[in-house]
Amino acid sequence: MADPGSVLPVTVPAPSAEQRGPARWRDPAVALLAVAVAVVLLLIGLAIAGYAPTDVASTWLSGALGSGVRRALSLQEAGPLLMTGLAVAIAFRAGALNIGGEGQFLLGSVAMIACGTAFRIPGPAWFATIVALTAGALAGAAWAGLAWALERWRGVPLVLSTILLNFIAVYAVSLLVHGVLQDPLTVAPQTAEIPEGMRLPVLATGSKLHLGVAFAAALAVALWLVFERTVFGFELGVVGMNPSAARLAGMPVARRRFEAMLLSGGVAGLGGAFQQAGVTYYMSDSSASYGYAGVAVALLGRLHPLGVAAAAVFFGMLDTGSRNLERVMDVPHDLGDVAKGLAVLAVLVAAAVFFRQARVEAS
Amino acid sequence: MSAGLAGNIAHQAVIAAVPLVLAGVGELVAERAGVIDVGIEGLMLTGCITAYAVAAMTGSGVAGLAAAAGTSAALAGIFAVATIKARVDQIVAGMAINLIAFGASGTVWQVLQTRHDGLYAQLPDSAGFQPLLFGQYGLAYATAALAALAWWMLRGTRAGLIVRALGDAPEACAASGIGVVQWRIACVIAAGACAGAAGAYLSIMRVHAFEPGMTGGSGFLVLALVIFGRWSVPGLIGGCLFFGMLVSVQQHLQSAGQNSRFPYQLFQALPYVTALLALALLSRSAPGPARLGEPWPQRR
Amino acid sequence: MIRLEGIGKSFASARALDDVTVEFAASSVHGLLGENGAGKSTLMNVLFGLLRADTGSIVIDGKPARIASPADARAHGIGMVHQHFTLVPTLSVVDNLALAAQAGLGQVPRPAWRARLRALAEPLGWRIDPDVRCGELAVGEQQRVEIVKALAVGGRALILDEPTAVLTPSEALELFSALRGLTARGTAVVFISHKLAEVEAICDRVTILRRGRVVHAGPLAGLTRERMTELMVGAPVETVRKPPTRLAGEMVVEARALTVAGRGVEAAVGDATFMVRAGEIVGVAGVEGNGQRELVRALLGLERPRTGELMVAGAALHRGEVPDRARLGIIPDDRRHEALVLPLSVTRNLLLGEHRRKPFAIAGWLRFSRWRARAAELAGAYDVRAASLGQPVSSLSGGNQQKVVVARELHGGPRLVVAVNPTRGLDIGATAFVMSRLVQARELGAAVLLVHSDLDELLGIADRVLVMCAGRLVDSGWPVAGRDAVARLMMSVDASTHAATGEPAHG
Repeated sequence: MADPGSVLPVTVPAPSAEQRGPARWRDPAVALLAVAVAVVLLLIGLAIAGYAPTDVASTWLSGALGSGVRRALSLQEAGPLLMTGLAVAIAFRAGALNIGGEGQFLLGSVAMIACGTAFRIPGPAWFATIVALTAGALAGAAWAGLAWALERWRGVPLVLSTILLNFIAVYAVSLLVHGVLQDPLTVAPQTAEIPEGMRLPVLATGSKLHLGVAFAAALAVALWLVFERTVFGFELGVVGMNPSAARLAGMPVARRRFEAMLLSGGVAGLGGAFQQAGVTYYMSDSSASYGYAGVAVALLGRLHPLGVAAAAVFFGMLDTGSRNLERVMDVPHDLGDVAKGLAVLAVLVAAAVFFRQARVEAS
Repeated sequence: MSAGLAGNIAHQAVIAAVPLVLAGVGELVAERAGVIDVGIEGLMLTGCITAYAVAAMTGSGVAGLAAAAGTSAALAGIFAVATIKARVDQIVAGMAINLIAFGASGTVWQVLQTRHDGLYAQLPDSAGFQPLLFGQYGLAYATAALAALAWWMLRGTRAGLIVRALGDAPEACAASGIGVVQWRIACVIAAGACAGAAGAYLSIMRVHAFEPGMTGGSGFLVLALVIFGRWSVPGLIGGCLFFGMLVSVQQHLQSAGQNSRFPYQLFQALPYVTALLALALLSRSAPGPARLGEPWPQRR
Repeated sequence: MIRLEGIGKSFASARALDDVTVEFAASSVHGLLGENGAGKSTLMNVLFGLLRADTGSIVIDGKPARIASPADARAHGIGMVHQHFTLVPTLSVVDNLALAAQAGLGQVPRPAWRARLRALAEPLGWRIDPDVRCGELAVGEQQRVEIVKALAVGGRALILDEPTAVLTPSEALELFSALRGLTARGTAVVFISHKLAEVEAICDRVTILRRGRVVHAGPLAGLTRERMTELMVGAPVETVRKPPTRLAGEMVVEARALTVAGRGVEAAVGDATFMVRAGEIVGVAGVEGNGQRELVRALLGLERPRTGELMVAGAALHRGEVPDRARLGIIPDDRRHEALVLPLSVTRNLLLGEHRRKPFAIAGWLRFSRWRARAAELAGAYDVRAASLGQPVSSLSGGNQQKVVVARELHGGPRLVVAVNPTRGLDIGATAFVMSRLVQARELGAAVLLVHSDLDELLGIADRVLVMCAGRLVDSGWPVAGRDAVARLMMSVDASTHAATGEPAHG
């Protein structure tokens, strides 16, 4: 196979800023409509199960947005999803199916914890924080780079290698948490907490909405500019859409894909480091699956950085809202995950139906 | 190593291999027909929870098995229509199916635990299957029969030729009046039923319990094993047995070394590391169905 | 006797067939002529059940017939050989036959199918190995399998859609004699083509379609080529006139003893030595699949030659780098997959390759106002017709898509132009446009290497012609040697191995 990256091409057409007038708004409009349909479907399902849809909706909304703290909590939850979602969007744009956000996020987390607990980084605390965050990004990038190398030289499809690397990362973290990183003061399989000085500043009291979330939002805007306005972003998209044409146009296809994978893994790893430095402060061997959710966030946002941001906030609201639902109405909070899955599927189907690039003729 | 121990390990290996073969045969047929279903993990998990819930409520394991196959087939049907008719990217839609299945199975499990006074949190004895012969469940023998059937079908029947043509040259089917879309949907739904049954095997036969995310990546492993077996049924079975053996050895060492401080995570990661290594060593030389993952008809 | 009566068919965008009535008599070869898009294939897809007509009916032997699917067509003994083959390359000949013609889904009786294959192929003088995989057969042999497959359903009628496009001239002659054998046994053959010489050679009657309507139907006798062309096109067409050859200039491409690896053990290109100079068009003729693809890949730096030397514009080439893209024009074989990025706009496609150069990008930032200005200028100069240059290039017609490629690749005055089948799938007007632009590039001093499977178009503008056959590259001596000499060279190796003897190639 001449081009290992084309083994399983992604056919998610990325939206273009060049669309003008109504066309420019059609993409987000269709996505919103699809999400609305998914939510209505879910409410109908709940109504059949005996929950009044209006009660469910209002309880959910008040849980997600009911107060300043609630809103901050929703955003706090959106933070890691935005990082993993952007990570996926970067890779998918270049046609690299990086499903490995989970493993990259975990390795980034573990790097932050290791820097905060096991190693003594000299210098002031802010310096140690920056070193630890950098280490998180590098760890994620390295894990993604490994998958890229397996594809480049051994022809292993990225979809599979990244998924398998996720599992390996889970057990690696478990090994560390039970082993060298375990907090000597407890018997529980968990690490010690990182020192106060290395924790990220909180932006809203009553929550752990931290500086990293603001960084993620800024990153989304920056990536939007990169995708739409730079040579690098343009080439990334062309490489993803048609690698053969990209090569004939003189673009360094393999290098662009490599850069996309490193950047993607780095963003996911940094997301993990943020989460540790901003929210949890320690690790156990259970995972919150932000990496997998990132794939859904990216797809829901149609790979557009601003769309990804909207999707991440929506997912964050689903999480806080459904926890309120569980508390108040005894509806299992896993229902939030069902809503996510339905929304993603609805957006995918709507996009596929509405944006047929060319009419299919039978002859 | 004593003969008894070797037999024990082999026995455990088969137990571990059965769900992989069962789900793998379905995935193999779907992939030969040109559709890659990454949602197989979710379909298996759906099978786990459905079988468990139905068996716990009705007290009938057979009903649980049937419901598991049916529910996963229905979910696979949604995936099939989305990818084959609406042309959603197969990998992406498969991931969405995984997400739905994880959420739905967790929801149902919470309801089972908290409602009805936790009545269904335990599987009644009547609802679990008992081994049929040589310590293996009846489904293991059914799986062997199914695999043999699939092998014969792909090799020697026109139905098998159609399935192979669907993945390699769907235009050949279309030119002969064979409905590519309908056939592919049928293959994917059949694969869903297989994955559901494999899930049932995990929850109401092998473990007699349910826990959230209990498939633990088996579905993803199946995807690797289909490639590992180069899209052939005997190759798939060989790969599954090999992995079953790895799992079995791991379990044995883990229980033997319980008191030592040997890191069991190394063993838990072993199947995934091996899968990755196997892919790295073999993937290059296994081209697979030419049109895997491509929608039909192609856009002009 | 098969009669299609008053057939009408519309697609969303256009009327493809308008009240078409044709008759195909048994024991005769019926030519169906027309330009691309005239409705030939649509009409035959209606007869074969792949498309449903909006209006009209099909009458077979005086009785109305309902043909809603290829299965119905097969039940009436109608078989079709498509332009693009529909064999499954990974299945054996026998299995392909069973896939297409067996009823039911049960076990395949392979011995019975082997016998059937022999019974169908032998009267035509063909011997086909039943157990070889179709992907391992030569193109001509694949076509034989296709024909046998189509006959396996009964043999009342055989539809051939542009069957000679993939054949050497000698293979085409053999096909014609096999078709004669079929008509002698009562089969009605429908021969779809736009090559007039072939129609003259084989057809008894012709029907000419233009824009979905029948403009002529009757016996072949009495029709001149000029008249047929006029009927097809609607008006006399000006052919591309090539200015006389000037003295060729400096050496742009120089290959010595070039060998390029193929898929198997054998080299796809063996020991090729040739050169292309500035200001000349060098044609590479040959039946597809004889190493042209690999030769071009080596030339473009996509494949490292196994041995030999290759200099392009004075620089030795290394694998993986496209040589000095700024001075190179590439019109690849498959424009939709190799030249264009379909979801992107016309503007972005027009700037592809130039996108990182000033003034279109400065310090890594794109300047779209410059892009739009340049795109508008190119679209005007190269007659690209699009409602808006912001619309996706996928929404353009094939001819306009190719104009986008031609505009992008030729506008900058390239030193070297490499074009592969640049008129494939285009109508006569767009073909003339593309060919005239290649001639113009030559006039401006470019070295043009034109790899083309349509010999007549190639000979129309080439200054020199090399022939590629089984990986060997030979100078044909054109224009001193005539067309026949070139055609003979095209089949030189093929003829000596399998095509002439009818022996199957074992892969």
